[in-house]
Parts: sequence; C-alpha cells; structure tokens
Amino acid sequence: MAAADRFRRSLPLAGAALALILAVGARGNAPDRWWSPGEGRVLPASLDYANDHGVLRTLVVGGPLKTRGHPFFEPLGANGRACVTCHQPADAMSLSARTAQERWDATGGMDPLFAAIDGSNCPILPQGDKASHSLLLERGLFRIQRPWPVRTFNGQPVAPDFTIEIVRDPNGCNSAPGYGPNAGNVSVYRRVRPVANMKYLLAVGFAFDPKQGYALPLDPDDGKPQSGNLMADNRAGNLRLQMEDASSVHLEFARALTPAQIKRIQDFELSIYTAQQSSPAAGGGLDTMGATGGPAKLRDSQPGALGSIGTPVWSEFAAWDKISPEDAAKLTPQKLAFRQSVARGARVFRDKTFLITDSAGINSRMGFGNPVRNSCVFCHNMTQMGNDVAPGQVDLGTTTQPFADPWDDLPLFRITCLGQPHPHYGKVILTYDPGFALTSGKCADVGKITLQSMRGLAARAPYFSNGLARDLRGVVDYYERRYNIGYTEQEKQDLVNLMSVL
Amino acid sequence: MRTLVTLAALALPLSAQAAETGDLVRFVSCPVYRDADSGKKSGCWLATDPGSGQRWDVSQSPYKPNWDFAVLVEGRVSAASADPCGAPVLEPVRTSILPDPCTRHMLPAEGYKGRKFVLPPRNIQPLSVARDTPPGPYAERVFTTYFEFDRDFLVYQYDDYIIDKAVTWVRAAKPKKLVVTGFAATEPETVTGQMLAERPEVARERAESIALTLRRLLPELPVETKWELAAKPTDDPDADTIPGQSQRRAEIRAIF
Repeated sequence: MAAADRFRRSLPLAGAALALILAVGARGNAPDRWWSPGEGRVLPASLDYANDHGVLRTLVVGGPLKTRGHPFFEPLGANGRACVTCHQPADAMSLSARTAQERWDATGGMDPLFAAIDGSNCPILPQGDKASHSLLLERGLFRIQRPWPVRTFNGQPVAPDFTIEIVRDPNGCNSAPGYGPNAGNVSVYRRVRPVANMKYLLAVGFAFDPKQGYALPLDPDDGKPQSGNLMADNRAGNLRLQMEDASSVHLEFARALTPAQIKRIQDFELSIYTAQQSSPAAGGGLDTMGATGGPAKLRDSQPGALGSIGTPVWSEFAAWDKISPEDAAKLTPQKLAFRQSVARGARVFRDKTFLITDSAGINSRMGFGNPVRNSCVFCHNMTQMGNDVAPGQVDLGTTTQPFADPWDDLPLFRITCLGQPHPHYGKVILTYDPGFALTSGKCADVGKITLQSMRGLAARAPYFSNGLARDLRGVVDYYERRYNIGYTEQEKQDLVNLMSVL
Repeated sequence: MRTLVTLAALALPLSAQAAETGDLVRFVSCPVYRDADSGKKSGCWLATDPGSGQRWDVSQSPYKPNWDFAVLVEGRVSAASADPCGAPVLEPVRTSILPDPCTRHMLPAEGYKGRKFVLPPRNIQPLSVARDTPPGPYAERVFTTYFEFDRDFLVYQYDDYIIDKAVTWVRAAKPKKLVVTGFAATEPETVTGQMLAERPEVARERAESIALTLRRLLPELPVETKWELAAKPTDDPDADTIPGQSQRRAEIRAIF
C-alpha cells in the first residue's frame, strides 16, 4: 500500500489530518509503513508514523541504522520472516491487527507474516483461506505452542501440579494428530509484545519477586537478577533466550543464532525507543506546554523507578493540569480540554481506587489480602512506562472464566489442580490461556499474564494478551466490568485520552 | 535462641474474660472486609472471636485475609483507638489463611475511615540504594524469617526485609557457609474448638524456600538445609511477641 494511501486511511478527522500533515510533513514524506524482511532500507535515527491518535515516534540511539545484513531485519529462516515482520516501527515495534489486515489485502495472504506455523489459526487448516488466519487478522493473535507437560522453569525441572484437558478446540491445534497435550504440546494465542524501550522492561528495582515469594532468578548469561517482564508467560528471562525462542519458532530458523547475530539483535533492541510524539487532539507535540511525552524522555531517563517513591507514573502530563492563560490562548477550546483531560486521566490512573478482587498475583499469594483497595498504578507502577517494577505476572481474568469474555474461536482448556486448589478459582478452572502456569507448572499461576509497557498503545491495537479489547475504550470497559470500578463517563474518556498519548 | 516459659504462659488463649492491653488473643473465624476508603490499602479487616463474641480489628497483619477463607488470628490487645475500623485493635497481629471456606462478606465504611497507608517499618530499599556495611567483628549469627500458618511463602515487607539485612551482613562478614533450618509447629493445639497443627512437610518447604532465595542472592556461598518439627516459641523480636509466629520460622545460621 502506498504511503499516501495509508496516511489518508489513518486520519478519520479533517482537523487531525491537518495536524498530522504538519507533524509528518515537516519531516518529509513518511516512508512506507511496512518494513519487509531483507529490503535493506536505512532505519533513520528518528522516524515518525501516523496513527489514529496522532504520530508515533521511534528513536534509534546511534542511528541511522543500515538494515542490510542486520539479523533483526534479514529473513533468517525458511518462511521468509525476519524479526521486523512482527515488530514493525509504525506499530510501536509490535504488530496491530489492522496492519495484518492490510498485509493480507496487499499480498493476497502471501506475505510471510501469514506463515502456517503461527500466522494461521492452525497449520492443518487450508492456508489460502482467509478464515484460516482469522485470529491474526481480527485480533492480532499468533499461535504459541508450549511444551506439555511443562519441563523446566529457570533451569529447574518442573512437575506440573495440574492436569490439562481440551474442552473445545475450534482450530484443531490442540487435538489434531501431532497437536495437543496428548502429543506433548499446548497451543494458545497471543498478541505480539513490543520490542522497544527495553531497558525499562529489563530493569530490576528490588531483589525479590514478591508474587512468587523468592528472590529474583539469576540470568544464566551474566548472573544478575532477571526482571521477569519480557514474555507474556515469562518463559524467557533475557533477550538471548527470547530471540532464540523466536528465531526457532516464529522464523523457523533451523540453526542456532550465532553469538555475533545475538549481539547485533540485542544491541539494536536496547537502542530503540518509541512513544506517541504528537496528537492532533492536543494541538501538537506531547512535549509542549510543560509536558514531557514522547520517546526522547524515555531514551534519556533511568529505568526501573517505582512511581510511588519517586516520580509519579504519568506525571509527564502534570503540567497540563495548570496550563497558563497565555498558553491556553494558543489552543482551541477543544485542544485545551483534551490536554486537561489527559492530565486528569493521569490522576485517575494514580488516584482512583477500587476494590481489586480474586486476582492472583495481587490478592494471592502475596499478603495484600482479598480484596484490596488500590488504583491502576498499584501494578502499573514503573515511572515512565507503566509496567510492573516487580515481575508482573498477574491474573486480570482476561483469559480465564468466569471473568474472560466468551470467545468461541479460541481453544478452551479445563485445568484440574492436583494439590491445593487455586486460591480464587478452586480446583477446576476453565481458561483460554493458562499463561504463566505453562511456564511455572503451578496451578496457582493459571491465568497470570505478564504486564507490559503502556507506551505506544495508540499504534498497536488490539489490547491485552488475547486481543480482547479492540480499542482503548475497550481496555477501560474491561476493567470497569471486571472490578466494578464505577468510573464516570468523563473518567473513562480521560483514561482513553491518557492512553492515546503514551 | 531460648524458649521462654513466660511467652508460653502468655500464649494461653483468652476466652470470655475481658481482654486487657497486651493480652494474647488467638482464635479462628471468618474475616469481614470493611470498605473504608482513605486511599490505597486503607480497607479494614475485622474478625470476631467465637469464644468471646468480641470483634477485633486485625488489619495490621503483614499477611492479610482472603474473604473466602477462615483465618487463624493471633494478636495482642492494643490500646489504640477503635476509631479507624470500628473495632478494638489487635496489634501486633497475624492472620493466617486456613483452607476452611467462608461466606464472603463486606461491610460498608459506615463512617469509618480505615487507615491511610504508610510504609511498614520493615520495608526494603531499591537495589539502587547502597546498603551500609554492618560493623564487625563478625561471628556465628542467626537471622530468622517467619511464615503464615502452614505455608512457606516469603512474606512481603517482612521476610524480604529480614533477608535483605541478613544478606547485607553476610556479604560483609563472609562466612564459610549458611545453614537454613526450617521449623514447623506440628504439635496439635485446639483453637476455637478446632485442632490445628502444621504439616510436617512445611518445615522442609520453608528451609528450601529460603535456601533458594539465598542461593540467588549469594550465589557463591554454600547453603545447606535442615528441618525440625514440633517447633517451640522463641523470644526473637522479629516475631513481634506472637508465640505462634515465632514457631513458624526458618533460621539462617552463618557458619565461619
């Protein structure tokens, strides 16, 4: 798709279009949004892409980067994919469902993105049929096949304290020959996590994992404590393990990455920062009128700070609470109201408390109690990023009954705890994705999914690990019905506006 | 560590007689959550002693109840005001979650404000904050961690604080090895008409849990494990004068 077409498609409002033309146009024509493996483009030191909420900026420390021959950008395996296939700069180094749809339309489904291994609902389905890729096209989900029984966690053998049975298998990848627990594997479906702002996701604030009740595990490569915040199910504790897992599975790379390839990929992943940079609704840059939004602040700040004892989470926008009359006069009433809404949203995020109930990782096994009153920032507590300073394995109920929304197109598993029942679900659990339990082997961890960064949300819908929220409002609505928070309509909009500028 | 006869005497449960400040209260009941709202973590936990009918404010426990399950309450009668939650206060206090199911119940705030959250005294600094080197001379020393009834889970803002102190000291003292001894209170006791005893296995689980943590924090140091049953109460200050808490422990002994 031509860049201009993509640009027009992403701007639903005429006013927004004008603002974005100014924002992007000032940098010249935005390059093609889609980065194909092996195309050899140069990744600029600063790269802007428009989305529905404004412009996302990606910064490459030490850039520009020649991608020709770079293992992040070159197709390494049999299926023609590279890391960049699923970690696109325009999508905040993740992949939106919309981008997947556009690739289908542009290539008739022939793009390596739709590789049978995980870019389809199951390899046994007819790969030419669009319906066989519905989970990726509609909710941005890739198939993740985990070993069953769980074998090791942090280098230790694991004997799972639960059994797993298939209640429903709409795609065949948990019951067809070669697939499913009886064949030694379990398939779940998850969103792509962003590969950017990594120093924050790797940062370690404290020596303990209070949710698991141990000191943090040590990195097998450097002996330092691991953050536990990389993967949805915490199956890889450092970037090497993550990229080895991804290259062998998603890229179908038959050989091992070389040390030189690992270093180049790691160096790149540690050099890239991304965040929303400007917003037409705010009337321009997110680093204006006292605010410090955008990726430069991320690049230049120390990672791992706990907002409650330092710089409050999302205080980047505190200045918009008190915009001077002189600055206010430069804005339309709508743009002034939007900026004030963002600042309010940050306060709602930090200060609006509600009863958190039945969420393992919060209400158990830690001693906070069930219920406990707190706010969004209880878990989204890292300054500037909104991920958890501690390893963020928490069960919000997004993948597990009775809290999860019904999804007829996802497999449904019946988990039976063999020892102690789950502290909130009991002995038998129905889940679409056992999450962290597929890594730890513990029934108490069923449904836990690692919190992720909140940066660049505007560029990478849908949200949550199984894509249940189609847009930012869907995120707020899920929390509202899950915890009966009682947000006012204004508070919901304030939170949406806040998330749209991160 | 010595066993105190006086502590054992204090461990006798109060029944119907009026409780005085400092008295030990121990009972099993279903917890009630009062939705007081003075901000984060400000809600109240209440529990009624079936023996006396007295409802207590047990909110100050380092490990708090789950409203779906009974709790073993162990605490001392405090002179603190009943104003925050609408019940006299047990402090220090412990609330261990038991497997017996309860009907969950929540009271509205009813004008009670709860307590505005303040960091407990036992909280650890981020790793970015340098620890002071403990002064020598260094000799064999024991640090003790404590647990909920029948569990081996490291208690947040309690055990992590104690282990952080221990590790800081060990790094300075450089002992030859550590020996972790897990204890379990396996002698049956009747509390609120219910026979309570910890599983014998939890002694080993505690030792191994703490040993795993120490191996991660001090990877160069050998860590051995032992375990003992029928644990007796001790007078270690970190058990906060709760005899039952002092029994549910793991000791970290630094050997030179």
